[in-house]
Amino acid sequence: MQSQCIFATQTPVGPPVEIIRHSFSANAKKTGKRVSLVTGLHGDELEGLYICHRLMGILKEREAQNALQGEVHVYPAANPQALDSGTRLWPFFSVDINRTFGENNTHSLATDLSKALLADLKSNSDLVVDFHASNLQLMELPQIRIIKDFEKKLVPLAQLCNVDLIWVHPHADIFESTLGTNLNQAKIPTLVIEAGICLRINKTYCEQIILGILNLLEQTGTLQCTEPRTDIKNPKLLQPHQVAMVQSPNAGLFVKSVEIGQALQKGDKIGDLIDSSQKQKEIIAPCSGLLFTLREYPTTGQGAPLARIAIEETS
Amino acid sequence: MKEKVLTLPTPFGAPLELYKNTWGNPNNEALALVSGLHGDHLQGIHLNLQLAQFLDSVVEGSHPDYTLKGQVISFPVVNLNAIQCGSRLAPADGMDMNLAFPGNPQGETTEALASAIITHTAECYWGLILQSAPPHYEDAPHIQTLQLDSSTKKLCRNLKLETVRQLKPSPAHKVTLAYQWQQHDILTAILSSGSPRTVNIQQCETLFQSIIHFMKAEGILKDRRKIKTNTTTKPHFYPPENDVSIFANTAGMFLKEVKVGTPIEKGQTIGEIRDLYSGKRLEEIIAPTEGFLLTLRQYPIVYEKEPLATLLTAKKSWRNILPWSK
Repeated sequence: MQSQCIFATQTPVGPPVEIIRHSFSANAKKTGKRVSLVTGLHGDELEGLYICHRLMGILKEREAQNALQGEVHVYPAANPQALDSGTRLWPFFSVDINRTFGENNTHSLATDLSKALLADLKSNSDLVVDFHASNLQLMELPQIRIIKDFEKKLVPLAQLCNVDLIWVHPHADIFESTLGTNLNQAKIPTLVIEAGICLRINKTYCEQIILGILNLLEQTGTLQCTEPRTDIKNPKLLQPHQVAMVQSPNAGLFVKSVEIGQALQKGDKIGDLIDSSQKQKEIIAPCSGLLFTLREYPTTGQGAPLARIAIEETS
Repeated sequence: MKEKVLTLPTPFGAPLELYKNTWGNPNNEALALVSGLHGDHLQGIHLNLQLAQFLDSVVEGSHPDYTLKGQVISFPVVNLNAIQCGSRLAPADGMDMNLAFPGNPQGETTEALASAIITHTAECYWGLILQSAPPHYEDAPHIQTLQLDSSTKKLCRNLKLETVRQLKPSPAHKVTLAYQWQQHDILTAILSSGSPRTVNIQQCETLFQSIIHFMKAEGILKDRRKIKTNTTTKPHFYPPENDVSIFANTAGMFLKEVKVGTPIEKGQTIGEIRDLYSGKRLEEIIAPTEGFLLTLRQYPIVYEKEPLATLLTAKKSWRNILPWSK
């Protein structure tokens, strides 16, 4: 393993802020792809951090066994100060790094960081995986979200990653300043994995994704394949019309009655919403299907998402 | 007229209420004024309240020289949760209000507010966004635009501010209010001044006069007096390539020696950076070129590589270069 600092800035009080790339490479002739794994753009999303930690351990062993056929680059902490303080944003600047990518931003330390990261990924990757957990409010089943424009290229790769579902959704302007969109626009296929909830580690989900990434590395020829994996999930492929979102009809406290990953029937109770006048309203599933997003943080505003359901196709 | 345009319930208390002020004839072309997109941009809110007071007095007849001919719509306070918490972003979702446009009426609080602003301003002819500098900086009063076509230039000339800065296009601009207004063919300018969490009365007065001049020039406001102004403020239009950022090469405490809104000479000292432990001077910050000091670091603690100041430089005309013109 070789480690290289790709961005550094001195802080006023002590050690510098550094973004480190750890690289694992084939000793002999490289025939496989160069795959990059990025995590920690949002400092409160810790699943990716754990996944990368585990993968780095495995990759070290595999590198020693000469099992690498390509290159794997791991960027385990893309926003170090946010990770240190457990915040989504880079705390000193209140900036969401994943809204600063793109060629024409004005000067700030945050945009300098995003430029350095984007440039390094572009010059070292044939394929990128960007790990995210959900925000403070929602728990997500392991999934890969793909913008419709990149569906053809990304879905076959996403199917290798052992996630529960692949959600193809329409493009929105807000995505244009994200790492994933910028890399995909630069024709470097980039998968954005979303799993769990922020500030926590769901070990089951992490193990599931670790297996998926190893499978991805093997299937893309980056890592030698010892024997075919039989335990890889066949994810549900969802088009935009196959996702039902349940939004909160009012502000209040949402108390869930179900668990994520459950198969719901139309009319099933998802939970109760207690509003400020102490009125309680049942939240009901509008359709049958797989519950893949569920609100964990009870306080909710009007219009906030409470659940997402992968709509079950009726024959 | 103060009118409630949106009510959003909150989990535990009184609802959030979005208000707009309206003055003048609804059949005439309207000017929209929006401030408080970020909860710490108090300068714009102060400017908006100054304008509200003035327009109220015009409508009530306390200013007999003025008649309101057009319509003015103002939203003084938009990011209600952030303002209540004294923070830039709404703490519940951490969403940047000015990255939430055009919004969604069925969405979460930030999205619903953004949607309401678009809905209630979509028919306006002009739009002015009143803001402060980004966190940690101070801006000299100036105009920002996303484009510099002839209509926008006319708008800027009528605002009678000396400095007009065209912003570099960025993917994030597409979800800002300014961009979305442009998509609705609203002539748009951003008036930026001061620093977050503060109000600079002098800068507010400059911008207040600027907006009054604009309203008179565009016929929104009629002044019966035939006053000839002595000042002939001509704006300088600065394209993005005329921005010069001055960076910190060290980390520490930045002590400034200049003021925003002043001309800077090449080689002039902008300030210095001192080490937090020893107090030793680590670096003297020198202007690499002459220019107008548009933005200056306000918060003294700085990281290495951070921008400390932005100078706007003008291309010299051949008149300045030829020896016999001097």
